Amino acid sequence: MSGVSRPTVALGLAAVALSLVTLVGLPTPLQAAAAIAVLILLPGQALTRLTPVTDPTLGALLVLVLGLGALTAVSTAMFYLAVWSWQACVVTMGVTTVLACVARGRKEVAS
Amino acid sequence: MSRVITGRLDATIRTMGRWKPREVWCAVAGAVSLALAVGAASTVAVPVSSDLGLVAVLPYPFWIGVLLLNIAFIVALRGDAAGPARRLVMLWLIVALVLVLFGTAAFVTDVPRGEVAFRHLGVADALTNSQGINPRIDAYFNWPAFFALLATVLQATGLDPIAVALWAPVLNMGLWLAALGVLVRYLTSDPRRRWLVLWIFCLGNWQDQDYLSPQAFGFFLYLVVVALIIGPLAARPSEFRGFRRADLAAWWRGRTPADPRPAHRVSALAVTLLLVTVICASHQLTPFMVLIALTALTLTGRLWPSRLPLITAVILGLWLAFPASTFLAGHPPLLDAGIPAALEANVVDRLSGSAGHVIVVQVRIVLTLVLWALAVAGAVRDWRSGRLDLRVVLLAVTPLLLFPVQLYGGEMLIRVSLFALPFIAFQACSVLLPTGGSTRPSFRAAGVLVLTGFLLAVLTVTGRFGNAQYDVFTDGEIAAVAAVQRFAPPGSAIISAAHPTPWRSEAYLEHRYRTIDDLCRNDLATATCGPLVYDYARRNPAGAVVLLTRSSKASLVLQGASSAGGLAELEAWLSSQDGVELAFGNADARAYRVTP
Repeated sequence: MSGVSRPTVALGLAAVALSLVTLVGLPTPLQAAAAIAVLILLPGQALTRLTPVTDPTLGALLVLVLGLGALTAVSTAMFYLAVWSWQACVVTMGVTTVLACVARGRKEVAS
Repeated sequence: MSRVITGRLDATIRTMGRWKPREVWCAVAGAVSLALAVGAASTVAVPVSSDLGLVAVLPYPFWIGVLLLNIAFIVALRGDAAGPARRLVMLWLIVALVLVLFGTAAFVTDVPRGEVAFRHLGVADALTNSQGINPRIDAYFNWPAFFALLATVLQATGLDPIAVALWAPVLNMGLWLAALGVLVRYLTSDPRRRWLVLWIFCLGNWQDQDYLSPQAFGFFLYLVVVALIIGPLAARPSEFRGFRRADLAAWWRGRTPADPRPAHRVSALAVTLLLVTVICASHQLTPFMVLIALTALTLTGRLWPSRLPLITAVILGLWLAFPASTFLAGHPPLLDAGIPAALEANVVDRLSGSAGHVIVVQVRIVLTLVLWALAVAGAVRDWRSGRLDLRVVLLAVTPLLLFPVQLYGGEMLIRVSLFALPFIAFQACSVLLPTGGSTRPSFRAAGVLVLTGFLLAVLTVTGRFGNAQYDVFTDGEIAAVAAVQRFAPPGSAIISAAHPTPWRSEAYLEHRYRTIDDLCRNDLATATCGPLVYDYARRNPAGAVVLLTRSSKASLVLQGASSAGGLAELEAWLSSQDGVELAFGNADARAYRVTP
């Protein structure tokens, strides 16, 4: 039995920190980098880590496609429910990342 | 023998970290060719005056850059006995090619090419402002997922929408190549073939579907889905004994999963289902391509989860029956089906216009035929040597099934050729590379590859940027559209001469956007068309603005719908009518306000 790995903890903390920073606002290039990370890359990475993929090339592609796919699904659902705002999307994707990290952490503890 | 192998392995490991002189030269050549092409493209003056498009005005250093890039790539691909150059060099050369071929227009002007990218920005803007989806607006609001993504990304990042649209072709090609790179790894273990497929895919990509659009996003997801179904979700078919029921049943039961790890297959299936759902919500055509690919691979015993086509059909059916039902109620999808109608819309109608424009269309057809001919030759060669991969043939051919089903605005053949392209490129490599697996190409074969690559690049630049006279906009035209959107009252109609107009990126829902081309149903003679446009403008309660830009007029002339003299006469007639006054004008555009 072992504890939660550092990458899982770092991913979850990064999602929380970057979500807050993106919501507060940064100068344009930094805001773009932070928003892309919190909306696409971090959720993509957290969801990919839930899969047992070992091939790094397929893993890298999954980070992108899961991040984009999840954000598309979240944004579209919010528009249909008439509750969309980009801030709500940032919060939802941040929460998704944290939840995926919690799920991964539980697997790591159990293994 | 084992000492020799160990010695070679040691030598390979020793030199793995070191850059070989050939690799350094190839990387430098890539940088030089990129600099030449970018420098040459940035000297092109806008508007482009030739009806052949950019190919006629790009200075010769651009072509030297393209040739040098092809030489560098083939030298790197040829590599040495151990294989092609290191991955970093090959990747760098492909990045350079993407920038040269797909970033060319961005080096010529800082305005995105074509009308549609502006319109797509407008849809995202409309979603942002309304914060809800009204499916009665138009088709985009029945398949809104890509626009929802775009709205979120633009608002959260604060990026300039125009800059995003300008660089979208480069970004989309990057995404497509990333997916194709993974996909090809499941089809071949030959590294030379893997790299060459990516190269040919770039060189054959004249279809110009990589702008900021749902179809570009959908195509990326399609390639990932195909990578998953020929990778973790693939099945190994058993021996085929015949078409008798018992033989078929034995063949079907004898299939085994290509990936023996159930957890991998389950996660790949979950990702596939998410992507299928997103594709169904994003674009009209792509889900059908996915469904066809899944069905073809299942029926040939190459897909392990055999119910996946059914699940996909259910998701697609649900999307069409509910969120997209408003659009489909007024637009029956099979209304204009049939091969004669498809040929008329996709080929015959496009082979008209000025001499230069017809040449451009013919170049597109020739390029497609050249690639298909290479692919057929490669397939025959593979078949003879017993190495033909049925999956590649199926994925290349099955998109053609959609050709007669829907006209798709005369664009179905373009879409079909794009969906087939990755597999056509793969099959073409069978004839472009030596037969013996990962054999190093000879000097002669390398020369043929360089010439083929250069020829394909010339044809692709011609085909891809062949409409530059009317789809590359000037600053004057952008200023005119901005002015019209500023002074046109809410509810008014904005009437442009024809569709290549950089409008609707803002105030998408505030105006009625029409073109003279549509209002007059292609009869643009002043006597018939003038009164139609004038009456339409005056009948609109909030009035109208008639916007005549250089590019929209060039489009009508180039495609043979009108002449420069005819359009000047129409403009003169309109401007002399009661209630019509010139509200804005510059060298490239004039806007007339029409009071109701």
